[in-house]
Amino acid sequence: MTGPVVQTRALTKRYGAHRGIDDISLEIRAGEVFGLLGPNGAGKTTLIRTLLDLLHPTSGSARILGLDSHADRRAIHARLGNLPGDFTVDRHLTGRDLLRHLAALRGMRDVGRAEPLAVRFRADLDRPIGTLSRGNRQKIGLIQALFHTPELLVLDEPTGGLDPLMQEQFLTLVAEERAAGRTVLLSSHDLDEVQRVCDRVGLIREGRLIAVETVDELLGRASRRVTVRLAGAVDAGALAALDGVSDVHADGDAATFRVTGDLDGVVKALAAHTVVDLEVVRPSLEEVFIGYYEDAPAP
Amino acid sequence: MNAAVVLAVAREAVRRDRRTPLTWGLPLGAMSALIVAIYPSIADSLTTIAENYPPALKEAFGFAEFNTVEAYLNAEMFSLIIPLALGYFMVRCVVHALPAAEERGELDIVLAAPVQRRELVAGAFAAAMVTSAAVLVVVLALMLLASVVVGAGLSVAHALAGVAEVWPLGVFFAGAAVLATGFMSRASSVTALAAGGLVAMYVLDLAGRLAEEVSGLRYISAFKYYGSALTEGIDPLAFVGLALAGCVLAGIGASAFERRDVRA
Repeated sequence: MTGPVVQTRALTKRYGAHRGIDDISLEIRAGEVFGLLGPNGAGKTTLIRTLLDLLHPTSGSARILGLDSHADRRAIHARLGNLPGDFTVDRHLTGRDLLRHLAALRGMRDVGRAEPLAVRFRADLDRPIGTLSRGNRQKIGLIQALFHTPELLVLDEPTGGLDPLMQEQFLTLVAEERAAGRTVLLSSHDLDEVQRVCDRVGLIREGRLIAVETVDELLGRASRRVTVRLAGAVDAGALAALDGVSDVHADGDAATFRVTGDLDGVVKALAAHTVVDLEVVRPSLEEVFIGYYEDAPAP
Repeated sequence: MNAAVVLAVAREAVRRDRRTPLTWGLPLGAMSALIVAIYPSIADSLTTIAENYPPALKEAFGFAEFNTVEAYLNAEMFSLIIPLALGYFMVRCVVHALPAAEERGELDIVLAAPVQRRELVAGAFAAAMVTSAAVLVVVLALMLLASVVVGAGLSVAHALAGVAEVWPLGVFFAGAAVLATGFMSRASSVTALAAGGLVAMYVLDLAGRLAEEVSGLRYISAFKYYGSALTEGIDPLAFVGLALAGCVLAGIGASAFERRDVRA
């Protein structure tokens, strides 16, 4: 499709006096992997559940795949796959039972690509879901979201409980979905995950969408913490004078400082010395948000 | 409404509750079978006892005299225990499939499929009707078995009518549970309201039978339309009316459920 796959206009959901999401206007383009990034309780799940019409908006509107999220719910849901943040099903069901049931609800004669996905994620479809570990349950959750090859994938904290190998497999799969032209909306509080797989990121803070940026823009705004040890004494003044460098603490032959933007100037300056050790720590989610809080007005 | 979706929802609910016809039917059936089994040995003394019962009590429990096994079974099981148990069972079926599943977060997966909420409700309601019918079949089978073994002479037609009459009463309270689900998301609240309504309606009907002054209140109780089919046969109007009333309540509940949030 040519228009946005997800489009919200001033979407607001309040629970009585409590905040849910507030005035969110957002567009997600076809074929992109869009990350919703925010700390726990920021409103990511509320936004997703409102898009899925599980929650009715207090005001505003949402269109999914060009259709009204409420009036055209059935047509939309036929074309999307969803993994809730807390994937819960009848614990006595096996993965295969669940997939057969969902296939019947979708009018499918079989379970689509569930078998190859199960092989890929090393998921056991024949054990009752209640007997599986959290990670293995999450694999079943991912398979049920993907088995019918949906045009839009909505994944709320999809890698929770997965081991690193399966997280890697998941990220590869998301990249393949994108390459096949499908759209992915993924919520996470893991910056590394978002950085690796998303094209653009929406930052949610206290129910409001405070920014939508590419991953590069996002990381460019956030400062990285650099620790360096040289063969000789560190000139703190020279470091502090470099573009994007701040918060310099030098102690003899070692220094720690923050760098915003690219590292080119720092690397070139350090190249004039003998570098014994160098460590660059990527910003945490909190640090990314702090970067925004410094620039953006509070909602 | 997509019939295939409703059928898929109902099939899954019946599969999940596949053991309940035994877990509920066996105890109720065993109690009924015991009543049938002991009847031949106490029939004579029962007649004398019944003659000494106050008329109001006979009216309240729907018997004139214990001169048949059907009358005794009706008074002991089908005037109180089985209708209340089946009514609660159907409330429980609906609560398990809808508000309790909502509380557990299980509805998020189903409702993210192309399933309308009214189809989910219809499937759960239909499953409750099928499962409760299976409970009653188990009760019927055990009663008839006991009658054959001891030679109690329980009429198959009367037994069938007595068991069948309970079903629309259950449907009514399943509908009441769906109605409550339309406005409440807490399983305990829905159970309290629907099961409370079940008991309140029973008490109201009983009070109306015992006291002429409040007999008019019986008309707002579903139990007013539940008779003594074991001895008198089924009243088709009451049978259909109760079942239809349950369906109407469920329809209103489904409509309200469409409009409210599904809680996580």
